Amino acid sequence: MARTKLYTGIYVALFVIATLQVGVEQIGLLESSYMLALGLITVFSLIKAVVVAGYFQHLVWEPRSVTYVLLLGFVGFLALTVAASYSIL
Amino acid sequence: MTDDNQPRTDGGTATALPGDSHDDDHLPPRWSLKRWLVTTNHKDVGLLYLATAMFFLVFGGVLALLIRAQMWSPRAPGTGVLSAMAYNQAVSLHGLIMVFWFISPFATGFANYIVPLQIGAEDLAFPRLNALSYWLYLASGILVFASFFLGSSYAGGWTLYAPLNIPAFMPSIGATTTVFAIVVFCASVTVGGVNFITTIHRMRAPGLTMRSLPLFTWSWLLTVWMMLLAFAALLAAVMILLSDRMLGTTYFAATTAGGSVLWTHLFWFFGHPEVYIVFFPALGAMAEIFQTFSGNRIVGRKWFIVSMVLVALQSFIVWMHHMFLTSINLEVKTLFMATTIGISLPFDLMVFALIYTLIKGRIRWDTPMLYAFGALVLFIVGGITGVFLGAVVLDYEFRGTYWVVAHFHYVMVSGATGLVAALFYWFPKMTGKTYDEFLGKLSFAVYFTGFNMLYFPLFLAWGTPRRVFAYRPEYVGWHRLASVGAVILGIAFLLIIYNLGKSIVTGDDAAANPWPYSTTAEWAVASPPPIDNFPGKPSYTSGNLEFLDDSATAAAAADGGTAATDGGHAALEPGHGDDVHVDHASIWPAAIGLFTVVTAIGLSGLQVGSFPAGLEGLFYQGASVLGVLGLIGSTTAMGYENFTAHEGGLGEAWPFEGVENTKMGMWVFLASDVVLFGAFIGAAIFLRVAYGWTHWHPIPHNPIPGLVNTYLLLTSSFTVILALVAAQKRSRKGVVASLGLTFLLGLGFLANKAIEWVVLFSEGTGLDSSVRASTYYLTTGLHMGHVIAGLLITAYLIWRAWNGAYTDGNDETLEYFGLYWHFVDIVWLFLFPLFYIV
Repeated sequence: MARTKLYTGIYVALFVIATLQVGVEQIGLLESSYMLALGLITVFSLIKAVVVAGYFQHLVWEPRSVTYVLLLGFVGFLALTVAASYSIL
Repeated sequence: MTDDNQPRTDGGTATALPGDSHDDDHLPPRWSLKRWLVTTNHKDVGLLYLATAMFFLVFGGVLALLIRAQMWSPRAPGTGVLSAMAYNQAVSLHGLIMVFWFISPFATGFANYIVPLQIGAEDLAFPRLNALSYWLYLASGILVFASFFLGSSYAGGWTLYAPLNIPAFMPSIGATTTVFAIVVFCASVTVGGVNFITTIHRMRAPGLTMRSLPLFTWSWLLTVWMMLLAFAALLAAVMILLSDRMLGTTYFAATTAGGSVLWTHLFWFFGHPEVYIVFFPALGAMAEIFQTFSGNRIVGRKWFIVSMVLVALQSFIVWMHHMFLTSINLEVKTLFMATTIGISLPFDLMVFALIYTLIKGRIRWDTPMLYAFGALVLFIVGGITGVFLGAVVLDYEFRGTYWVVAHFHYVMVSGATGLVAALFYWFPKMTGKTYDEFLGKLSFAVYFTGFNMLYFPLFLAWGTPRRVFAYRPEYVGWHRLASVGAVILGIAFLLIIYNLGKSIVTGDDAAANPWPYSTTAEWAVASPPPIDNFPGKPSYTSGNLEFLDDSATAAAAADGGTAATDGGHAALEPGHGDDVHVDHASIWPAAIGLFTVVTAIGLSGLQVGSFPAGLEGLFYQGASVLGVLGLIGSTTAMGYENFTAHEGGLGEAWPFEGVENTKMGMWVFLASDVVLFGAFIGAAIFLRVAYGWTHWHPIPHNPIPGLVNTYLLLTSSFTVILALVAAQKRSRKGVVASLGLTFLLGLGFLANKAIEWVVLFSEGTGLDSSVRASTYYLTTGLHMGHVIAGLLITAYLIWRAWNGAYTDGNDETLEYFGLYWHFVDIVWLFLFPLFYIV
């Protein structure tokens, strides 16, 4: 299968990113620069999620409309979370 | 404007064909109870929905009459026909029943019956899931009915506001049963939504583009999209509430900072789209009726559709106008006041389109048209009076008063009025009988009089506080007028039921197309239609509806012609005239519904972590065990069952060409699961913001066990991919080994999590220790539930693979499972940092 190498590479990359994510905490960045650390950890999570969805779930090879369906749910989550949290600031 | 360049696929002429033979030979006869227990045919399921919804209309209506009897005079507690608690139950359950168990399912009944006919499909994409959706709906209805007999039903208002909804204030087992009923209803809606979205997008006849889709189908498509996302948020809300009630988590406790506001956010994120979920099907039916009875195509059809799409999208950004009296800040109130005004604009356009359609046409005032026109008038009143509530300052005055009661009844019941119009409109099609026109018109006169006598005085008595039976004496006259109006409206419904019931028995036979100028495809087949709907393959490729024989369809497909527009398989699907047997019967959806009732009643007995003592506790525990075993058995049996359904895929499938039905269904389901998990994660983030973000520390002391679990899940995702690769290489051992590894990795994840929880419990950190602990346990627990479900499926797949499945070129099941498993992985990628690191 031609894509086995691609899948393996992605798996290794995901493994590394997950480790880096905890590394941010282990080096004490959360204590010294909380917002930077929070931003980095969030970005790492987003990258991992996009890669898993894109390649393991084959979204990159599906019609783009399927991606939009999932984005619809994700935008709903963001709208609820951001607006609700902002409403009590 | 007119769209004369468009093929008039819904605006053309529906030519009725001679009656087909009613080939129901795969099903027991209609008079047999067995038929209604096993049927999966969309028309039967539609009738079941309609009949059940009518029952709940009567149930909710009786509660309404009790409310109006209590409101005859201002009351002190303990006086009048109802006790204080009985009144609270009547008010709460009247709202819940009418919104959840009457209006939407009533619309679902029409959609089940009519939408496949309108789009040229023989059935829905997943007939057994369609039946399951109905049986879950009925199960939820039985639960809400049973809740009255389990101590007390829910009595805190239909919006279930916190903290009134937790056991400290609402301790009865029946109240938990009511919440369970809503959970099951949400499940029913999700299953139905996935089915309809897949069907309408993927199973349209050749030539039936989205642009030329009939307006009722358009309105229903947007309704189910809204349902899919909005009900996922409600499902999250009621699952959290169940957890607070059954397990003792503290999300909505009075002592939790932001807990009560969190409920309002979750509820109204669902609740405002729900207004359009209720009204859209009625609007679509009204549009069809206006066209038929004015003999005129809807004016500005394209813009009418665009407006519906805009409203569906905007409905998700207006929910905080229901919260102007809470502690949310002024900036966000102002923003949501603007979005609320914004959503009225596309609705105005639709109302003007309907009015102008009538002005340009020659109206025939038959009963469906009377009700449809009445619905429009009532909706306009409801819409205008709602504008007051969208303005922050006015809302301060009106919120919590009978102005709101009057306004939302004008809106919601105008939707019901539109559906009554639909009932008369499609009655001849569904029953093959004509109704009594005189009685129909009489019922409308009584209905319209009763409706306005009931609800308009409530505007005038607006100073009456909602949900209580004490009010100022000067409002007595208006309330008595309303109570008389309620009786008259009740008589109107009895007239409707009598008319239609009598007509089913003694009415004249209806023609296939009893309405001049009707244009949609359901009128082109016999009344009622045959089991597979059409005498051939419906096609709109010529611009008008035609029925092709199978040889023509196969030829078109083989030629790569318009009949195979999804670029997929050119093979002829199962259907009319070919030799492939299509199933229409399965008992398992009904069995799952039955065991859902047993399980939910049993688990309702679990209150804050323990069952009642003695025999009562034994009853609830026994029911829980029996129900769960039954559910596992019936679900497994349904999985094993050989069931062939229509595949579709030979017609229009934009924008999902090349995505087969099951895969699309899985993606749509996952989109709703995104919202479900999103609402859980959003709830945790919201409570953390309310608590003070940086004062909130993760419950697990060490992120390393969480990291290990991340490694385990990532690896299990990889092994699922390897299983798919092995299947494509036709390696049975490879598939079994990869899936086996997936199973072991999943087990490892659960074991690691179990150890973590045991350690935390031993340290005294339970679910009720703090809101931090509650969010951690419940959100990661929901994820664990998904992992366990995935492992059960994995075990089944291993067994199947061991017996040679998936290596014969049919590896789709592995791919669909992978979509789910990778999603579970993705969710963990967010839960891990949120609950272990930051």
